[in-house]
Amino acid sequence: MALWFIRGLARRRVTTRFPAVIDPWVRTLPSPPTFNSSLLTLTVADKLVECCPSRALSHDERWLVFDVGACTSCGTCQRVVPEATGVSGVFELAARTSAQLLRRFPLQVGDR
Amino acid sequence: MTGVTVRSGGDEGQLAARLEHNIHTLFGRSLYVRTIDTGSCAACESEIRLLLAPHYDLQRLGIFFTPAPRHADVLMVTGPVIRAMEVALRKTYDAMPDPKLVVAVGACPLGGVYDDDEFAWGRLDRVLPVDVYIPGCPPSPLALLQGLLLATGRLAVKIDHVSFEVHLEATK
Amino acid sequence: MTAPLLWVAAAAWLAAAGLGLGATRAPLLWAADLASAAGGLACLVGGVLLAMSGRATSAVLGRGDIVGSLGLRATPLAGAFLVLLGVVTLAIGFYAPRYHSPGRGTAAYVCVYNLAVLASLAVLVAGNVTTFLVAWESMTLACTLVILRHHRQRGVGHGAFLFLALGEVGFVMVIAAFVILATHAHSLDLSVIAARAGDIPLAWRSTAFVLALVGFGFKAGLVPLHIWLPAAHPVAPADGSAFLSGLIIKLGVYGIMLFAFVLLSHGPSWWGLMTMAFGVVTAVVGILYAVVERDLKRFLAYSSIENVGIIVSAVGASMLFTSHHRPLLGAFLLVVALYHVVNHGTYKALLFLEAGVVEHASGTRDIDRLGGLVHGMRASSVIALVGTLGIAALPPLNGFVSEWMLFQGLFQGFRVHSHVIGVLILLGAAVLGLTAGLAVFAFARAFGTAFLGMPRSAGAANAREKGQPIFGPGLLAAACVALAIGAPAVLIALDHVVRGVTGVQLRPVLLVSNLTIIPAHKNFSALSPTYLAVFLVAVSLAPLAIYAASRPRGATRRVPVWDGGIVSYKADMQYTADTFANPVRVMFERLYRPDIRIDRASDDPAGRSGPVHYHSKVQPLFERYLYRPIVRFVEGVARRLQWIQSGNINQYLLYILIVLIVVLLIYAW
Repeated sequence: MALWFIRGLARRRVTTRFPAVIDPWVRTLPSPPTFNSSLLTLTVADKLVECCPSRALSHDERWLVFDVGACTSCGTCQRVVPEATGVSGVFELAARTSAQLLRRFPLQVGDR
Repeated sequence: MTGVTVRSGGDEGQLAARLEHNIHTLFGRSLYVRTIDTGSCAACESEIRLLLAPHYDLQRLGIFFTPAPRHADVLMVTGPVIRAMEVALRKTYDAMPDPKLVVAVGACPLGGVYDDDEFAWGRLDRVLPVDVYIPGCPPSPLALLQGLLLATGRLAVKIDHVSFEVHLEATK
Repeated sequence: MTAPLLWVAAAAWLAAAGLGLGATRAPLLWAADLASAAGGLACLVGGVLLAMSGRATSAVLGRGDIVGSLGLRATPLAGAFLVLLGVVTLAIGFYAPRYHSPGRGTAAYVCVYNLAVLASLAVLVAGNVTTFLVAWESMTLACTLVILRHHRQRGVGHGAFLFLALGEVGFVMVIAAFVILATHAHSLDLSVIAARAGDIPLAWRSTAFVLALVGFGFKAGLVPLHIWLPAAHPVAPADGSAFLSGLIIKLGVYGIMLFAFVLLSHGPSWWGLMTMAFGVVTAVVGILYAVVERDLKRFLAYSSIENVGIIVSAVGASMLFTSHHRPLLGAFLLVVALYHVVNHGTYKALLFLEAGVVEHASGTRDIDRLGGLVHGMRASSVIALVGTLGIAALPPLNGFVSEWMLFQGLFQGFRVHSHVIGVLILLGAAVLGLTAGLAVFAFARAFGTAFLGMPRSAGAANAREKGQPIFGPGLLAAACVALAIGAPAVLIALDHVVRGVTGVQLRPVLLVSNLTIIPAHKNFSALSPTYLAVFLVAVSLAPLAIYAASRPRGATRRVPVWDGGIVSYKADMQYTADTFANPVRVMFERLYRPDIRIDRASDDPAGRSGPVHYHSKVQPLFERYLYRPIVRFVEGVARRLQWIQSGNINQYLLYILIVLIVVLLIYAW
């Protein structure tokens, strides 16, 4: 106990400040996807909307609406359309309204 | 939470600002949380429970867990609100004295996988008025903490998101 | 002034007995019972005056030459018991007409009940041995008839039989004790015996005392002489049970006090030790059996045994202190014993009357079939609560004051010079402490399961106040509160009584400034029941006042009680009386030796085994290991002697011949 305290004083960190050191495997944890707008055609959008098991993705012909709240980071959309999606590495934080958890990505409308 | 880009929150207006102030003055000192599992897989429950472990140690922030809704300020709901738990959820909510907050934890009460399942309500805000939404499946401890702190109003503005790349640079 | 009042009381009760014979119609029933109540009032006032006067008044009735005259003598000691008799009969007088329905059975019952009351009065004011014995036996017989009111029901005959049989065994011992004393004192008059008792040799006095203790112990209900009490008291009608538990067992205590303090004062130390040991064992055994009892009236009967044990412990401790040269403490504990007699009579009668109300309203006496009575029967529940708080000895009621005084008296056991006796007194106090704790537990269980919560049966759900007697029990509840807050006044009266009995002036070390009680020695402890009551009321009202003044900001929102969020809360999800008492039952398993049986429909482990029934029956220890062997022995002896009654007429003629020869031989000499 005394040793830990003295060591902590030497390191200038006695108590645990969280997160003290990020564990290296955190980077490998699944996180919600991010979408490359330039590759989001309507067909791609349709495929994405159809494949998501949580129904987190929807589109209204102009925007791909991604509900971060409903996403379970399952990775299905990344398997189905690997070129337009990517790992975000971002763990979304809390929000006051559910509207704040919606992300919009513009679709490439001109391509049909 | 050093090295974070802060962007001010949305356009909530006068009413929201007043609500914020009230919550801050009412809940500023200590917060009692009551968790209720309305049919989840218990991953969110594990994450919440481990917030009490020494690594994050919720109690030093003044946040405590209580099983008695009469003593609780915040109701943390996990799970997609299956119909079998509806009565229990409503009774728990009714038993909590005002002012109270409802926090939806995880993807399930936010309209995740079970949104149109016939045995569940799917979204928590179809049943109760929700104050804070915490996304993630399960949410990271940071998200849970931020959600609770949001609930207390200690964070005056909504912080958009935190990238671990940014974070790692700050601690190096 | 007291003598005329007591004559009025006796006349009123005689009139009530006569009117009772015609109580096949409601007006006569009311008339009889109001006459009984009037007698009770007269007796109450007479008793108070008698106690305060500190002097005895005598009267002589008739001049029968064979067995002496019917001498009457009202002593201050009897005065305390007369107060109790008056209070109990007054309350029962108002209770009975609404409890019984008019008819032939009720008419006979009312007549017999009033005769029992009259006999009790006679016991208390008996001036010589014959009067006492005749009155005692009449009281026993009348009470047997009182118990037999519903003689066709199960258990009534058995209870009445045990009451009568054990009462007679006790009576024989009492006769023997009186005969020993009367022979040695050459007089049948009680005051003469008391004056000459000092000349009787110690061996005879001790024999008389032991016989009296055991003989009166049968009537009082000391363990192991108590087995008739839980059999007889529950099966009598409620007001009969109230009278039996409230007064009759106190007559046994009166008998013990008569021998210990009036007739045979100044005995050796072991008398007090034996009495106190009897009392302590009675108290703890009584409450232990009460805790696991499901029948409401049997539970109250066992609780009566416990309280009689407390009273007899106080009597024994008083004798012990006096014989060890601590007269102040001896007098103090006698005051405690008398005070507890009055207190217990009041609240036990109240509880039995309420048990009768509950039984009539809900149709059952089983605590596990009751529940939620407070919703339909507000007034009765409040009255029962007052009685329960009293008997559980919770402040500020009268039970608390008398038990506090008892413990303060016993804790001063260190003042006795003999270390052994001092330790034994404190040991007794420790066991009585256990008793008091278990009493709180037992009554919390009984009151909580029966009155609070949700109804566990249709009868309990339909229990209503309408048509139930409230005034009689309410009177007793008011008496409980008055006895508590007015405790100083009661103690002043009891001080007069004790001064008349023991000659010890207790007043300066009993009451300080007329409101605070101190236990016989200054600088030990103090209690003011009046201030305590005021303080408790104020402290209970203070949060309400603060709440009303603070005016909470939001509107009040009412929601149902938090039940864990389950869909519907059913009555059989509640605690049962057995589960509440389970810790005690497990801890004292050696005493109870419960006979447990579990019946399942099948052994399917997956929870589909169908209904599971759990039966647990407490072993009747005393019946099995004490009484049955004795009875079997007596029956064995009788069977062996049966050859005498052969039915052969020649044998009987031979007996006559033998007796004739023996008589002639005796006369020859």
